[in-house]
Amino acid sequence: MIQNINATRMELLRLKKRLQLAVRGHKLLKDKRDELMRMLLEIIDEVKELRLLVEKEFRSILEKFVLAKARIGPYQVEQELLMPSKKISVMAGQKNMMSVRVPQFKREVSGDIIPFGYLNTSGDIDIALDRFDKFIEKLLILAEKEKAVQLMATEIEETRRRVNALEYKLIPNLQETIKFITVKLDENERSTTVRLMKVKDIVRSH
Amino acid sequence: MEKGKIAAFGEKDIMLIFKSAGVDVFPVSGNANVPEMENHLKTLVSEGYSIIFMTETIAGKLDRLIKYYSGKITPSIVVIPGPGRSSQYAIRELRRAIIKAVGADVMAEEKTGIK
Repeated sequence: MIQNINATRMELLRLKKRLQLAVRGHKLLKDKRDELMRMLLEIIDEVKELRLLVEKEFRSILEKFVLAKARIGPYQVEQELLMPSKKISVMAGQKNMMSVRVPQFKREVSGDIIPFGYLNTSGDIDIALDRFDKFIEKLLILAEKEKAVQLMATEIEETRRRVNALEYKLIPNLQETIKFITVKLDENERSTTVRLMKVKDIVRSH
Repeated sequence: MEKGKIAAFGEKDIMLIFKSAGVDVFPVSGNANVPEMENHLKTLVSEGYSIIFMTETIAGKLDRLIKYYSGKITPSIVVIPGPGRSSQYAIRELRRAIIKAVGADVMAEEKTGIK
């Protein structure tokens, strides 16, 4: 119950309005939480699969690259890759999912990934770079999705707290206070009636 | 939509391959200390990199900062496997997020074998 409350009709009306609002907010937040949870569970498997795939593929590309590097010598490789001809950047946008803003990336590339002549390098390095070129698209998708999962998780936690606070604290509190004021006002009314009856009795006996 | 940049942050060997793909690379030597790397990462973020690739080995050391950035829209920090054995950092991080949201580990079914 809310402490220090005036048991007046005005207060009662005010509290009733607040309760109405709280109940409405509670329902909306609950819906939001459920929908967010559904969306999270939907993408979670996707993200997990993508993550495992990315890790596996990256390892195999790295392996190929390291082997190639060992074959033609680290110094040579560094020389060849010193001036990359490929440029990559992203267009970052935002998508609104149930009031959670998640980033969206669109890649913009120019140039070829192989900046060197074929004379001094082995074929392995070409293959590794070529595969990596295709692979980077997946990395960007992963960046987008993992971020979405993190942001949604934070939002769900926040919403859940709000829902719980409303459900278990604010709404029962308001209900109890409204009940208290109603009872108090009824009691006052009864005592007024009784007093009036008493007064009437006294007046009549004179 | 605005233009964003991509950075890669990690061991020199791995950075080479990212460099060839046109990503801005910032190699870190294995024995750099944590505050130094944290500052480096902060500068990268303030310079406007929207995606930062980071190797597992370094991510493990910068755990605190990564958690801080995970609540923000930018940057997206993507942890990639580093040299040596995988520490499953990203999967762990994913699992942590789910526990936070759902209150239970919905990814745990693999261990128990129930699906």
